[in-house]
This record gives sequence, C-alpha cells and structure tokens, in this order.
Amino acid sequence: MFERHDDIVDRVVQQLRQPVSIDPAVDDRVMAEIAADAATPRPRLARWTWLAAAAALGAILIARPWAGGTASPLNAFQFVLVAPQASSVALVGDFNDWDPARSPMRTAQGVWATTVPLAPGRYRYAFLVNGVEWRADPGAPAARDDEFGTPSSVITVGGNGS
Amino acid sequence: MSQPLGIGSVEASDAELVRRVRTGDIGAYSTLVARYRNRLGRYAVHMLGDREDAEEALQDSFVRAYRSLERCDDPARFGAWLYGILVNRCRTSGARAARRRRMFVRDADALNGATHADQADRVEWSDSVNRALARLAPEYREAFLLKHVEDLEYDEMARLTGAGVSALKMRVKRAREQLQRFLKEAEHV
Repeated sequence: MFERHDDIVDRVVQQLRQPVSIDPAVDDRVMAEIAADAATPRPRLARWTWLAAAAALGAILIARPWAGGTASPLNAFQFVLVAPQASSVALVGDFNDWDPARSPMRTAQGVWATTVPLAPGRYRYAFLVNGVEWRADPGAPAARDDEFGTPSSVITVGGNGS
Repeated sequence: MSQPLGIGSVEASDAELVRRVRTGDIGAYSTLVARYRNRLGRYAVHMLGDREDAEEALQDSFVRAYRSLERCDDPARFGAWLYGILVNRCRTSGARAARRRRMFVRDADALNGATHADQADRVEWSDSVNRALARLAPEYREAFLLKHVEDLEYDEMARLTGAGVSALKMRVKRAREQLQRFLKEAEHV
C-alpha cells in the first residue's frame, strides 16, 4: 500500500508537534545562575573595597542611573540580601522613614532584592527579615551611631552617584 | 495583524515582566522561564536529538537572554527574541553533539492512553521519525522544524537564522524530500 509523500510529511509534522515536557528543574538552574550574577558586585563597584568582600553574602549594586534633572539627581541603587530561609524581607532606612511597607523586597531563589532612588548623602539602613529580625547588610560598613540598639549599615552616595 | 511567530506577543504581560526584570525584579524572570520552557524546549529536543543536550542549551539560552536583556529592543516580542538566542545556541551545541552517538527521545506524554499494540506502533513510528530527522543536515533540520513544527513565516525564519528566504525555502523543500525518502527506506527494511 502506498502513501502519498505529502501524507508522510504531515504525519512527521504531527508527531513532532506533540508537546515535549522539559524538566522544571531547568527553571531552578537558570534562576540560581541569575541569582549568583545579582549577588556578585559589578566592576563599577570595585573601588569600594568594603563592598568587594560582600560578593557571596550581600551587596548594594548600582542598577542604572535615573534620569534626574534636579539639583540633587537621584540614582537607583539595588540592595540585595541572600536569605534563603526568609519568608519576607523589607529594606528600611533613612530614605524611607524606616517604613517596611515602602520597600518590600522580591525574591528569586533566596536572593532578595529591591531598588530605591537615592540622592547624594549618607544613609543608615537595615533589612527586616520575616517582619521581626533586623539584619545589617553583611557587605556594607556597620553604622556606628546606632541609636536604636539594632544592627544597621550605612551607605554614602556621592555626587556622581557612586 | 497576524502573529508570525505564534510566540511573539501572545502573552500581553511579557513586556511588563521584562520591564520588571530590568528594574531589578529578578523574580519576574522566573515567570518568563516557566512560560517558554516547554515551547522552546520542544525545538531544542528535536534539533539536538538528546534531551540532556536540549535542556543544557535551553538553560544557557535563558541565562544569556537575561544577561543581554537590555538588547531586547521589543520586550513585547521577548519570546521571538529568546527563540533567536536558542536557535544560535542549538547550532553550536549541535556541532558538538554530532560527534557523539545520538539518543532519541520518546516522550512518555505522547504514549499515554495507548494500548500495548498502539504503543509499540507509536514507539516504532516515533523512532523512525527521529532517525530520519537526525539524518538531515543541521541546516535542513533547522529549517524544517522552524517552518513546519514551530509554524514560523519565512521572514521570521530569515531574521532568526540569518539565511535568505529563498535559501530557506530550498532547505525546507530538500528536508521534506529527504524525510520522505528516509522514511520510505525505513518501511522497506
């Protein structure tokens, strides 16, 4: 019995169009690689020697400058904390009146991140883990003038956003 | 307006997810990965003929896309842009895989619900198709899969592969002819 050539190709196409299930673990591996990228300081930050030590645990990353036309231009800073066990993390600091609701952090594979615009200046900040636990940024200098008795860190933003 | 790729902007939120990733929300990228994993995975599996190689190529493509996301000019067509990265990645992976023995993929999902006899027939047919596909030159296999399995227009294929439309039409034609011949030969063995 003979089959038309086009019929054979149609059957091939039908076969090859069957859905293929890819192991969802691919997603985890992709996100783990990406999270490792995010937790590694970018070259622009190399001159911040204190930050270089933070590669594995946490870091503040300059994301990209915001278009600022004011006298005090804002620059976007990304704050990152590696906390795989946490169920929520919020960034609190002088720049958001220490209000956890204003800078919630999003997670991917235990890497929590958020981006906030900062004008030049010196700011104290901390991470609020699970709504109760205050943590300083392991990759940033500790704030010395801690009036609250809880750990906090400090970031100084220069005039050029560095 | 038609959707040439069928994966370009079917999900309205691709652009929004890309925007969120660009502003530092890397968690949004996991939604894009889950959305395109199986769709792009099918192409990689058929192109490379080996599930492990396909998953590696897919993983690498997702990571490359993330790292170069700023170069995605039209975030609403993130899927099409990602597809281009995967097609290129499969080319390099395919060159390496060609030196190894090819393993063929029998998708368990395709066999569900079949009787024993049906299942044996389907496995045999699936193996025959995979063997015939593997015998095609990579550029013929690539063109055939993009045109007939992924249902792309020639213009879109040209953008993805860098080949001209007439060359692609020729490759698809040759691929069809060769598949027919290989499968006919298999019937008579």
